Amino acid sequence: MSVRALWVVSHEKGESGKVRFSRRFPTVEFRAKSLAGTQYVAVPEDRVIPQLLLTELGLVDPDKSYVEARDDCARQHRSPAVELRLDGPGGRTLWPVLTVTQGVLILACLPLVEAPPVPRPPLPSLASVSQGLALLSGLQDFLCGPGGKPESDVLASRLAALPSVLLQVCPLGRPLDTPPPAGSVPASVAPSPGGAQKQPAWKAGVHRGRAVVSVALTEKVRSMQYSKNSQQDIWDVYGMVMCKCEVEGVLPNVIVTLTLPHNGSPLQDILVHPCVTSLDASLLTACSVDENDGSAFSGPYKFPFSPPLELFRLCSYTSQVPVPPILGSYKLKAEENHLKVNVVLKLHESVKNSFEYCDAHIPFFNQNLMGSVEVKVSSGQLEVSKEKNLLVWVLGQKFPKSREATLEGTVHFSGTVAGPTDPLCSGLTAYAKLHFRVPDLTLSGCCVDQHSVQVYSSAKPRIVTTRELVSSEYYIWNSTGDTPVSSGLMVL
Amino acid sequence: MTFADPWDQKISAFLLSPSQFLATTTCESFLAELLHELRNDKASDQLKILIVSLLLEHPTILCPSSSVGEETALELLSVFSHTPQKSIILKCNVMLAITNVIICTSCLANHTKMAEDWLDFLFQMIQDTNDYRCGLSHQPIRATACECLREMETCSPGLLSQKLEALHLLKQQETTVLHQSYCMLYTLGLKNAIRILTTQKNVTDLEFKSILGGNEGFAWKSNQLGLTLLPINMMVHVPRLPPGLDCKELKSIMSSLLEESYLHTPISQSALLRELVEVVAMVPGLSPTLFKSQLLRLFGTADVSLMHATLFMKDTFTDSLFTAEDENFLLKRLVGTAQHPLLRISEKLFCMECILHFPENRPISSSGEESLPVLVTPRLAASLHPTVFNDSATMLCRLNLLCLVHLEADEGEADKGISYLLEHIMALLKIIDNDGSREVVVTSFRALFIFLMHFNGMKELSEKVIDKLCDMYSKHSRLAPNLIGLANRIEEHLNDPVWSVKLLIGLQKCIMEMPPLQLTIHNLSWHLKVLKRVAKEGQITQRNTIYLLLNILINSNLCERGNWQVGNAVLAVCRNLLEHPSIDQVFIELADLLQYISVHYDDTDIKEHARFYYTLLTNLSWEKLTGILAKGLDGGRAKERSHSAIMAENEGIASNLTVHKTNRHVLQLIKVQGEASQRSLESSEMLETTGEAKNWLEVYQGQFQTSGFGSEVTLRYSLTHAKDTDHLFDKVFTICLHFEMKDSNYAKVNDIHVPCVFRDRKPPEVQVKLKPFQPYPTTLCVSAIFTTQDGRSWHSRLPDVSVSFSEIFLPLPLPPNTSCECKVQVFDRIWEAAASGNPDKSAISLFCFKTGDESLTDLIKTHFQGYLITDQQSKRFWKVLFFLPPTCHVLLKITQAEDAIQVSIATDNWELLPFVNSYLQNITDHCSTTVTDG
Repeated sequence: MSVRALWVVSHEKGESGKVRFSRRFPTVEFRAKSLAGTQYVAVPEDRVIPQLLLTELGLVDPDKSYVEARDDCARQHRSPAVELRLDGPGGRTLWPVLTVTQGVLILACLPLVEAPPVPRPPLPSLASVSQGLALLSGLQDFLCGPGGKPESDVLASRLAALPSVLLQVCPLGRPLDTPPPAGSVPASVAPSPGGAQKQPAWKAGVHRGRAVVSVALTEKVRSMQYSKNSQQDIWDVYGMVMCKCEVEGVLPNVIVTLTLPHNGSPLQDILVHPCVTSLDASLLTACSVDENDGSAFSGPYKFPFSPPLELFRLCSYTSQVPVPPILGSYKLKAEENHLKVNVVLKLHESVKNSFEYCDAHIPFFNQNLMGSVEVKVSSGQLEVSKEKNLLVWVLGQKFPKSREATLEGTVHFSGTVAGPTDPLCSGLTAYAKLHFRVPDLTLSGCCVDQHSVQVYSSAKPRIVTTRELVSSEYYIWNSTGDTPVSSGLMVL
Repeated sequence: MTFADPWDQKISAFLLSPSQFLATTTCESFLAELLHELRNDKASDQLKILIVSLLLEHPTILCPSSSVGEETALELLSVFSHTPQKSIILKCNVMLAITNVIICTSCLANHTKMAEDWLDFLFQMIQDTNDYRCGLSHQPIRATACECLREMETCSPGLLSQKLEALHLLKQQETTVLHQSYCMLYTLGLKNAIRILTTQKNVTDLEFKSILGGNEGFAWKSNQLGLTLLPINMMVHVPRLPPGLDCKELKSIMSSLLEESYLHTPISQSALLRELVEVVAMVPGLSPTLFKSQLLRLFGTADVSLMHATLFMKDTFTDSLFTAEDENFLLKRLVGTAQHPLLRISEKLFCMECILHFPENRPISSSGEESLPVLVTPRLAASLHPTVFNDSATMLCRLNLLCLVHLEADEGEADKGISYLLEHIMALLKIIDNDGSREVVVTSFRALFIFLMHFNGMKELSEKVIDKLCDMYSKHSRLAPNLIGLANRIEEHLNDPVWSVKLLIGLQKCIMEMPPLQLTIHNLSWHLKVLKRVAKEGQITQRNTIYLLLNILINSNLCERGNWQVGNAVLAVCRNLLEHPSIDQVFIELADLLQYISVHYDDTDIKEHARFYYTLLTNLSWEKLTGILAKGLDGGRAKERSHSAIMAENEGIASNLTVHKTNRHVLQLIKVQGEASQRSLESSEMLETTGEAKNWLEVYQGQFQTSGFGSEVTLRYSLTHAKDTDHLFDKVFTICLHFEMKDSNYAKVNDIHVPCVFRDRKPPEVQVKLKPFQPYPTTLCVSAIFTTQDGRSWHSRLPDVSVSFSEIFLPLPLPPNTSCECKVQVFDRIWEAAASGNPDKSAISLFCFKTGDESLTDLIKTHFQGYLITDQQSKRFWKVLFFLPPTCHVLLKITQAEDAIQVSIATDNWELLPFVNSYLQNITDHCSTTVTDG
C-alpha cells in the first residue's frame, strides 16, 4: 500500500510541461523491483516525465490534427490510471500512473503493484490504487484550495511547503493521511491534554475557546428541460451537510439529525464522513438506482459522530422531488438574419419566492455578432453583452405575483464578425441556463433543527444551522431545435 | 560553497536528471561534497534538508555499493547526533535518509552492523511513549521512527516477529496522536509473524502463543519469505495455519484493534482493515464475523479507500461474511457512488472499474478480465448512461459499461438499450459534424471503437454507423486519418475485416460521388490517403478508383503543376493497386493511368516511377509482380525491393525510404586493448635538441601556440556485432556511426563511416577522436545508421561507451626523441609552478598506500609505463606526468617511504583532484590505502 513516486507537473499553454515538484520513494522502488522481477520497469528521470504524461493525456502537439501516439482510437482513456510508454509504442510501459488534472496542474503518482505483473492485474485488485487516489485528492485540495485556481505565488508557496507536508502524511511512500486542505488550519487548538483518553490521528489537538457548532445544509438542483413530448424533462437534487464543530474534549460526541416533512420522499444514496461512529441500517436502504417502494425509511436521520477540528462534509444525499423549482420554456424561430426569442419561466408554487439572486443566461453560438436587440422582459432587467452574444435576464429577488415571467423579442445578427462557437449548439439547438440561490429552503424539505443538534460536552455550545438551495447545471433547451441527448436518457 | 544559490541549482539539476548531472562529476566526490556540507555548522537547516532529500530520494545512485551505503549511513548518523535538538524537521529527514540508504543498499538484507545499530536506535526512540522523556516537541521524531521501523519490517518481513509483546505494550500505553503509528507497526509485525508461521509444518499451540508473547531481539533469520510478500488476494493458495489452535488471545487483540480503528485516519484505517483481513484469512480459528460490526459503517462511507478495503474484505470472505442481500446492497451502493455528483471524476472512474471487477460470491468466471456482475441489470445501470455532457474519460467508461450491460440484457430490453447507445454515438458524431474540437473528435472515435467492439455483429447498427461516417467524411475530409485508424484498429482487434471493408467501400463510394469542386488540392491528399487504404483490400473492386484518378489527372491542371507530393500520393495508390488480387479486371485501365502519368506529369521523378510501374505491370505476371512487391524480412531480395518500392508514403516504400528503428543493440564498440603505441602525439615539427641551457618549459609551452596542438585523444575500438542479434543483421553495410556527448565537456565528435561489418569476418577498427574542453570522464551515446542486405536502412543505438579518466591521459607532448633531461626539466618547472600556486587553479595533494616491493614495480609497469619521466628504480623514486588535453597536467612523484608508498600529486587544475584520487584508489585497490589531502 505505497506509491513509488509522486509528481506535480504544470503545463502552460504553448509551453512544454515542467516538473514543479517530485518525490521518489526508493524503498518502495526497492520492493517494486523485487516484486516485478524481470518485468521491472524503473521510474524514468524527471526530465522526461512531462512529455510522457502530456502525450498520454492528449496534451502534446495541439496544432496537429492527428498524431497516432496521441489519438489512436484503440487506446482507451477511461480509467483513472494511464500507462506511460517509455520507448514509444510497443516499448516498455510504466503502469498504473494515476493522474488528476486541475487547470494547468497535473498531479500524478505511481502506486506499487503488489501482484505478479503479467498478466496485468485489474486496478481494483491493487490496494495502493485507492490510497494513491486519496493522496492525489488531498494534494489537489492542498495545492489548489477551495477556489481551485490559486495565484502563481500562492501556488509556489504551497509547493514549497509540500516536503514538510509529505514528511507528515507520506514520509516513506505509504500514505498515512491526506494533506490538510489549503487554509484549513483551525484557529484555537491546544495540544491534547494527555491522560487515558486516546487522541485520534485525525485530530491534532483539542479545541479551546467558545463552543460553536455550525451545520450548513446545501441542496443543489440540476435540470434539463426540453418542453417536448418526445423528450422527458429531468431534474434531480443532491444535498450535503457541512459541519464545523468547535467543541472541547478529545472525542466529544455530537449528534446531528436530519428530518423530512411529513410524506417527504426519502433521502437516497447517503454517504457519510468516516468520523460518523455508527449508522442505522435503515438510513442506507434508499438508493436512487433502485426501484422505490414507498415503504422506505423517511427519517429522522441520525448521525452520531465525533468531529474533527476542521470544516468537513458530514454527509451527502440525493433526493427525488416531484417538480422542478422553476419550469421553463424556450422557443427560438429563425427568420432571415434574426432570431425570434421567447422564454417563459414559472416558479413552482411550493417554492418560496425570495431569491438571493436569479439570472437566466441566454447565449447564441455559431452566429455572427449581435446587432440590434429588441427584447422585452415582463419582470426584472435585461443586460446585453454584444461581444459575447449573450443575453442576461436578471430576475432579481422575486418573481412577479403571478409567479411567471416572460422574455420576448428579436435578436439581429447583422455583424460580419463571427461570435463565439460551440459544437453542441448548432442550428436551433440552444439553451437558456438558470443561476439562482434561495436561502433557507431545501427542495427535499430536509432540515436540521437547531434544537435537534445534541452535543455531549462540558460547555453548552452555540448552535448555528443554515440551509439553502442553489442551482447547478440548470438548462432549458429550445424546444424548436434538436436536443443533444438521446431520447432514452432518464437521468442526468 | 556555503551560499544557498549554487546549491539550489546543483540540487535541482541533480533531481531533474541524476545521470546528466553525474556526467560532470563522480558520484563519489558529489557524495563527499554533500556529506561535507551536512557537517558544515554554518549551513542553514533548510539547505541541509534539501541536501538530505537527495540521499533520501536517490540512495542507490549516490551509494552504488553496500559498503558505501554503510559508510554513508554512519556519516548521516553522526550528522543526526550533531544536529541541535531544535532542528526537528532536519532530524526527521536524516532519519528517513538513513533508513532509505540502509534498505536500498541492502545493508538491511545483509544484516550489517549499521543496520542492526540503527534498528536498536529506532526501537529505543519509540520507547518514549506519550513523550514522557523528550517532550511534545519531539513527537515528529518518534512518529518518523515508527514509520522507519514499519518500512524496515515491510522490506524485511518478520524482523519484528519476536518483539510483539513489547510492541503491544507500547501501543497500549500510547495515547497521543501517534497511537495510530504504534498500532500499524504492531499490526504489521503481527501479520508477518503469522505469515511466517504458516510456512512452518505442525505448528503447536505453544509456538502460536509464543509469537504474541515475543519479547526478544530482532529476528534477522526469519526473512525466508524474502521481499516478495504478496497480499493474499494475489496468491493462488492462501497460506493458512492448521485448524484447532487456541485463538482466544489473538481474538481479543483483533477485537481491540478493530474497536480502536476509528482513531485512525481513513487511509490508515483502510490499511489496518486490509492487514486484519489477511490475519483472519490465515488463521482458521478466527471468524470473519469479527468484522460484522464494522460493515454498516463501511457500506455508508464516502471514503473511496475504505470502500475499496470493503471490497477486499468481500473478495476474501465472500459468503462467509456477506449474504446475498449484502452483495446486492453493496453493488447498488457502488453503482450509486459511481455517478455521485459529489465525488471526484477519478474516484467515480475507479468505482466503475470496481463494478467491472466486482468480487461476486458466486462468480461465473474468474479470468481477471472485465465482466459484468450478474446483478447489474439495465434498470440498475440506467443512471450510468453516457451523455455528451460527460467529460471524455467518464463518457468512455460509462459507454463501455453500458455496452456490456446491454449485451447481456434480455432481448427486448437490450434492443431499446442499444438504440439509446446508438443515439448517443450519433449525438457525438453530430458534434464533430459541427466542427467539434480535436479532443471531441478523438473521444468520439474512441467511443465508436468501444461501441463497434461490442456490437459489430449487429448488421443494421453497424451499417447505420457507416452511413453516418461516410456522410461526415464527405463534409470533413480531414477525418481521413481518424477513419483509417478506426478501420485498421477494428480489423486488428476483431480479427475480422468485414466491418472495416464495409466502411472503406462506403468511403470509396463517397469520394467517387463528390462533385469535382470538392476535390481541391487540400482535400485530395486526404482522399488519396483513403483510396490508398482502400486499394489494400482485396475484396473491394478498384475500377472506380482508377477511373477517378485518371479523370482528375486529365481534367485538372495537376499534371501541369507537377507537385511531387500529389504525384507521389497518386503513385502510392497505384502501388497498392498493383498488388490487388483482381488486377486483371482493371489491367488496361491501370496501365492507361500509369502511362498517362509517365507522359504528362510534370515531374521527372514521378514520371519515371510511373513508367517503372507500367513496365512491371505490363511485363510480369501478377504472381511475380506481387512477389516483387511483397514486403517481408526475407533477406537476399535487396534488388527487387529497392526497385519496386522507392516511393514514400507506402509501407513497402516506406520500408526503403524511411529508416527503420530497432530497439535492440545490433552493433557495439569494444575497446582495443594495448593501444599505448597509438598514444604518441603527432608533433608538427621536430624540436631542436642541440641548444644548450634552453628554457625547455618555454619551448614546451610554445607548442601550444599552434592551434589544435595536443588537443585530441584518440581512442581505438573494434566495431562488432552485439550478442544475439537477428540473422537479418549478419551483414550490414555503409555504417554511419553518430556520437552524442552526454555532457558539455567535450567537443562534438564527427560521424565515422565504416563500409561493412560481417559477423564472420574480423571486426573493423574505428578511431574516435575526442577533444576535451574539460578532461573529465564521460559517456558517449552512440547510434548507427546502416543498411541490411535486403536494402533497408536501419537506425539502432549502440551500448553507451564510457570513457574513463585514465583513458584521457596522454604522455608529455614532446617529440619522441626528446631527451630525458628536457622532460625532467619541464616536469620540475611545472611542479614548481603548481606548488607555488601558479596558475590559480593549481593544487598539490598527497596519496598514500601500502604495497609490497614487487607489486609496486608491477603497478608502475602496468599503469605508468608510457608516462614515466624518471625511473629511478634503485632509489625507489619515480616521476610520472599525465597530460590531459587541452592544457591540464597531473604530475606524480612516487616515493617509497618506510611503511608506505607516498604519491605526491601536483596539478594545474584542482578540479581534477577527485578524479585523480579515485583513479589512484582504483589501481591500488588491492592494497590498504590511506588518503591525506594536502
